[in-house]
Amino acid sequence: MGSILRTTVVAAALVAAGASVVQAEIRIGVLYPIAGTGAVYGTPAMHGHNMGVDEVNAAGGILGQKVVTFARDTKLKPAAAAAAAKELITKEDVQILIGGLSSAVGLAISEVARQEGIVYIATIPKTIQMTTKKLHKYVFRTASHTDFEGDAIGQLVKKLGKKSVCDIQLDYAYGHDLAAGIEKGLAKHAPDAKKVIDLRSKLGATDYNAQITQILGSGCDVVTSGLWGSHFVNFAQQAGPFGLFDKVTYISGGEIASHEIAGKMGKDYPKNVISNTYELWYDHSFPGHKKFQADLAKRSGKKETAMWPVLAYIGVKFVAAAAEKAGSMDADKLSAALEGMSIDTPVGKRTIDPKTHQADAGQFWGPMVKKDGVDYRVMSPVTFFPAKLD
Amino acid sequence: MDMLLSSPTFVFIQVLNSISLGMNLFIIAAGLSLIFGVLRVINFAHGVFYMFGAYIMYTVAQDLELGFVTGVIAAAAGLAVIAIVVERGLFQWLYGKEHLMQLLLTFAIVLIMGDLAKIIWGTDQLSVSYPDGMSGALNLGITFYPTYRLMLAVIGPVIFIGLFLLIERTRWGRLTRAATQDMEMLSALGINVPVIYVTIFLIGAALAGVGGALAAPINSPTPGMDATIIVECFVIVIIGGLGSLWGTFVGALIYGFVFNFGSVIVPNWQDVFAFLLLMVVLLIRPWGLFGKPEREGH
Repeated sequence: MGSILRTTVVAAALVAAGASVVQAEIRIGVLYPIAGTGAVYGTPAMHGHNMGVDEVNAAGGILGQKVVTFARDTKLKPAAAAAAAKELITKEDVQILIGGLSSAVGLAISEVARQEGIVYIATIPKTIQMTTKKLHKYVFRTASHTDFEGDAIGQLVKKLGKKSVCDIQLDYAYGHDLAAGIEKGLAKHAPDAKKVIDLRSKLGATDYNAQITQILGSGCDVVTSGLWGSHFVNFAQQAGPFGLFDKVTYISGGEIASHEIAGKMGKDYPKNVISNTYELWYDHSFPGHKKFQADLAKRSGKKETAMWPVLAYIGVKFVAAAAEKAGSMDADKLSAALEGMSIDTPVGKRTIDPKTHQADAGQFWGPMVKKDGVDYRVMSPVTFFPAKLD
Repeated sequence: MDMLLSSPTFVFIQVLNSISLGMNLFIIAAGLSLIFGVLRVINFAHGVFYMFGAYIMYTVAQDLELGFVTGVIAAAAGLAVIAIVVERGLFQWLYGKEHLMQLLLTFAIVLIMGDLAKIIWGTDQLSVSYPDGMSGALNLGITFYPTYRLMLAVIGPVIFIGLFLLIERTRWGRLTRAATQDMEMLSALGINVPVIYVTIFLIGAALAGVGGALAAPINSPTPGMDATIIVECFVIVIIGGLGSLWGTFVGALIYGFVFNFGSVIVPNWQDVFAFLLLMVVLLIRPWGLFGKPEREGH
């Protein structure tokens, strides 16, 4: 009998010890598309995430505990992302969710966060709905959003004195919301500019000839857009021979000014493009950027680093700052701490609005130009558009 | 929509758009259809073969700067090698087994080759320049039209005629057609059927490779590009009739026209028309416009 009792006690002690080991770490669930189409962004985003986590751990972790990441592939699909988020919460006991890429995926993760009562920091999704109609206590966004982008595009149309606008967007949450953001931006800054044609291509579309020829037929002097990544590459490659970039200025959201696009397209990157990016490896406007970029370059093995890492990195830094301020990983306390919180990032100070849960994530905008001795286009001049809608 | 009614030039351009899209897709779908026609294998890995063609083009033409034509040849050769390995190493054990087994195998190949592509070429969206002299537009009298697109519109029919002659007019083609009818009898007559099979698989895969290589300048090599193309190819071969070369040719043209004019007439519904057509074909004539109903006990 005695031995049985002893065994039970030892077993209980072991279980307790095991449990305390589990609790002696901060468990972060991170969701990016790691395979398939979205891997273009998900992979560099993970670089930034891991760099942020390593820095936090090197500085003693969060609340004195080591930070451990549990990464899941969203496959760029809302249903897969929601399932992965649920699994992270129930099976891996993560205390917070970060990440998301694509607006639809962001909204899906946000819904799980609301149901499960766990904080979700959206680092990349930009649909305005996340911080308006679909806002809830536990969702925060450190990315920009479609109204900021649309407002900047409105200002640029005004500045260039363009009069007739063709808009081409991808047919899903981001494209629709950006189109609405551009409408607002144009109404506010360039009320004389007239929208001539609205075009939609499906997400993942590869053929744009029908749209290109409609743009050319409609005679507009500026194209506004949010075709991102390979969508833009395909559009530009197909529109080039038609002479589209000789005839119109192409102003685009979707961060096609980022170096991962400009660098890969090289001499094929078209002229007359004005676009945005969260970060440029060659622009050190903000203090701390130089060191951040050098560290990232070392980590990724490339001098010319990508833009996506900084977004994931900022997400991690917000988690660390919020947890220290809250003194706990409790969702309600974290949520309260994040409201109104400010941190310095390599791309400027970021403050989360306590009402909308939206960070004032400004972006760099500018024309993409040729530069002597460089075989890809660079943004010049670089203008920082602060995230303000006044 | 207004432009369609008011400008004949605009209509003409849309017709060219439709033909060039259709012909690019034909090159790829022909391989899928050919493999099904003879081997009776629904090859889901065809999309990933196409993706490898595009990536090989990138490496050869863009990275190593060995030229565009070399890129096309390398893509065809690369896929031929892959085809021999896949057919001899894997497929030959599954002929005559359930379709489900074959589907699972082709799906496994999709996953493995997709990951391989990521290991070899990374995850960035890459870009391939137009070949020299083809980055501009040609004056057709009434309008300018991209030279490269026109070339695609010519290469498609050339490949069609080549395949047609090969299968309909040569002894080897007759043997191939015989193999689809009765493989055992052909074997008994002393014909080396496995050689026919591997050759057909090789030609089919090489077509996917060439299609991918030719698409690379207008279609950025990127992870996941296989998923889009395989759906388009299946729509084409199902409309046209799986296994029928004529059907694939006509199906590709129909897809090109439906996609382009659909995009112009109802911009937000560009995909719907092709899939509606697919549904109608499946309901009324499930073996496709040019296909033959599957006989029992094949």
